[in-house]
Amino acid sequence: MVPIIADDAILYPAATLRVRFRKTGALQYISHLDLVRTFEKVLVRAGLPLWYSEGFNPHPRFSFSTPMSIGLESLYELMDVKIEKKVNCEAVKEALNRNLTAECVVEEVYYPDTKFTDISLASYEIVLQTAGADEALAEKCGAALRGSPVTVLKRTKSGEKETDISPMIIKSEASFAEGKILLAVTLTVDNEKFLNPEYIVTYLKETLGVLSGSPLEEAYSILRTGLYGKSGELFR
Amino acid sequence: MNQKLLSGILKSVSKPGRYTGGEFNSIIKDKSKVDVRFAFCFPDTYEIGMSNLGVRILYEALNQKENVWCERVYAPWVDMDEKMQEYGIPLSAHESGDAVKDFDIVAFTLQYEMCYTTALHMLKLAGLPLLAKDRGEDAPVILGGGPCAYNPEPVADFFDIFSIGEGEEALPELCALYAEMKKSGRYTKSAFLREAAKLEGFYVPSLYSVSYREDGTIEAYTPLYEDVPKTVRKRIIKDLDEAVYPEKLVMPYIETVHDRVVLEVNRGCIRGCRFCQAGMVYRPIREKSPEKLCKLAKCLYENSGYQEISLISLSISDYSRIAELTDLLLEWTDERHVSLSLPSLRIDSFSEELMKKVSSIRTGGITFAPEAGTQRLRDAINKNVTEEDLMQAVGIAFGAGKNNVKLYFMNGLPTEEVEDVVAIADLAKKVVHRFYQTPNRNKARPVSVTVSVSCFVPKPFTPFQWVGQDTLASLKEKQEALRLAIQDKKIRYNWHDAEVSHIEAVFARGDRRLSAALLLAAEENMMFDAWDEFFSFEKWLDVFARAGIDPAFYANRTFGLDECLPWDIIDCGVSKSYLKREYERAYRHETTPNCAEHCNGCGANKLGGKTKWCR
Repeated sequence: MVPIIADDAILYPAATLRVRFRKTGALQYISHLDLVRTFEKVLVRAGLPLWYSEGFNPHPRFSFSTPMSIGLESLYELMDVKIEKKVNCEAVKEALNRNLTAECVVEEVYYPDTKFTDISLASYEIVLQTAGADEALAEKCGAALRGSPVTVLKRTKSGEKETDISPMIIKSEASFAEGKILLAVTLTVDNEKFLNPEYIVTYLKETLGVLSGSPLEEAYSILRTGLYGKSGELFR
Repeated sequence: MNQKLLSGILKSVSKPGRYTGGEFNSIIKDKSKVDVRFAFCFPDTYEIGMSNLGVRILYEALNQKENVWCERVYAPWVDMDEKMQEYGIPLSAHESGDAVKDFDIVAFTLQYEMCYTTALHMLKLAGLPLLAKDRGEDAPVILGGGPCAYNPEPVADFFDIFSIGEGEEALPELCALYAEMKKSGRYTKSAFLREAAKLEGFYVPSLYSVSYREDGTIEAYTPLYEDVPKTVRKRIIKDLDEAVYPEKLVMPYIETVHDRVVLEVNRGCIRGCRFCQAGMVYRPIREKSPEKLCKLAKCLYENSGYQEISLISLSISDYSRIAELTDLLLEWTDERHVSLSLPSLRIDSFSEELMKKVSSIRTGGITFAPEAGTQRLRDAINKNVTEEDLMQAVGIAFGAGKNNVKLYFMNGLPTEEVEDVVAIADLAKKVVHRFYQTPNRNKARPVSVTVSVSCFVPKPFTPFQWVGQDTLASLKEKQEALRLAIQDKKIRYNWHDAEVSHIEAVFARGDRRLSAALLLAAEENMMFDAWDEFFSFEKWLDVFARAGIDPAFYANRTFGLDECLPWDIIDCGVSKSYLKREYERAYRHETTPNCAEHCNGCGANKLGGKTKWCR
């Protein structure tokens, strides 16, 4: 087995390692903060040469690319972690996966040359399993999201506010398959213009009355499929 | 993952991560290949249940058996509970998502009397009749255990069987009996219970009849058959180094109450405080070796990634090899940024050296428990600490840079007078004063002393088991007297709700007749009574009144020394004659030396066990 640590020399300054992973199933019900806590333990278990902050209460340093709200599954999440020794990326990937369940899988580990602040867009697949789903309703959903304004009650730091989110919806396509409505949307995720995809579902609930029935029969899912830079290139 | 919960419902409740399962290290088995499906229910929330060491140990002990699959079940929070009732979703197990009612054995750990309503509510949510006699052959065997099983009588009508004492060996034995009887075709529920009653440490309440005297006290427990034991002796693990202990922990995705490695260093306590049930029922005192503990700690750290290791014990500083253990641990914990925490530090054994080791990385508050305000009362309860001990301990803490100290007390203790309670204020004042006398104190922040006072609840198998609890009026009067006596702004005063303690006392010393009240409580959908926001004293008074029960009969009445007690059916090792001796010494304000100094002949040595002190 290839060892995790490639070189025992301590790095100054600490290096940043990027971990790309997906989280699905039960993991969608974990809050962002709880995912942070989970990864802190996973990184220790996996035996990474973590860099610890100086001071009274030393902690490993790591950060996630974009906030993940409860109810969001994702195929494309990024985490940067500070390490104090050079590592073999493939060995790190394997060690992390040994310490995760099948619902959270690391796809790639590498030394990045970009910064999370350059992430601008995220793509999502939203599936609505709702009464009345057909081609026509799918088309209505697509059109509704392409229209302007798209007004929702948005939570901000200063309370809830009626907001037109249409400038944050970059792309939206709707289709109908196997009794379900599929939406492919691209939303802005910049710091100032982060749009939680839940608002898309909320908007369609309020304007078109989708998902108004029993939770025993109706459901929706949101899957993040990619992160992109300003000019629409896949962010790595 | 528990796939049977619907996403629409999960998305509409708070902290859905409580319900989904799928945790790292949770144990999944092929259900077609196991003989016994065992549901281990914790009658409180996931966050609390996941932190419980007993559950962690028994989950491991049961799942080590190839033919047993033990799964976890927690009480859904009120929002989820509402949805489950609305949509008819039955209570299910965490690992498989299968309905609890389809399991073979459904066990409840009863940690605290105030969880009884939650346990019954869980049975209801599972779709099972509450009373054991109403459940048919197809219903699972309902098993109770945990500290409250030392007096199982208030819930005896709801359970088929109780496990008394330590369960690491007993529960797998019970499962083996179940599997064998199912395989051989001998199984009927009553045949199984009759057989199980012959195993050591199992109490089957339906195999005993209880008769009462005219004054309402118990006359006798009578076994219904010859082969049913007259008393049920608790089980213990003889050698703790050989006992099952998990090397891997189920890792919660969400934050739980004790999110850390927990190392049990010993069982039992040498002290013999007269109010303390744990100090009596976990006897004889047994220890793990530092070598074994250190090996376990490293293993658990590597398999969990937790950066905090908590050593647990009823009194950690009484662990005879504490210095060796902390030295061994510090050899590797420091460099890995792993911190050690030691709860329950005794005042008289708190040393500078220990403090240095504990605060090597992380620091928190420090708590001491003098329990009572005057030496006379501390002697009556056999606490065996002095004011000097306390001043020395807080002096060390202040000298090491601490400026907040928490002090635990009880009020309503037997022989207590208002003066004893008011003396707590003086003691706290002296602690504040001690801070200013400490030369190298932390001058950056002001000193803060927190005084927390709970109400004494008489518990079975303690020298104070016979003593009636102070009346509510008297408890409240004493709480108020102390509030008025605390003038200093540097002293914060918290007190425990006397009404909760009153209900707790009813169930702690209750008998089978209380099931009538619990049934009514279940009808009223009462649950989470351990949570302040759900506890309703009025509702309790109402169900007691409707059930024809006088709560004072159980809580406030001083029981006769020769009275048949509801828990006389259980033998916890410690003898009644020893408890009587201690009871009488209390009223003479006489202390009793601890087990390390002198064997007082409590009787627990008859249980055997690898122990340093028992003669």
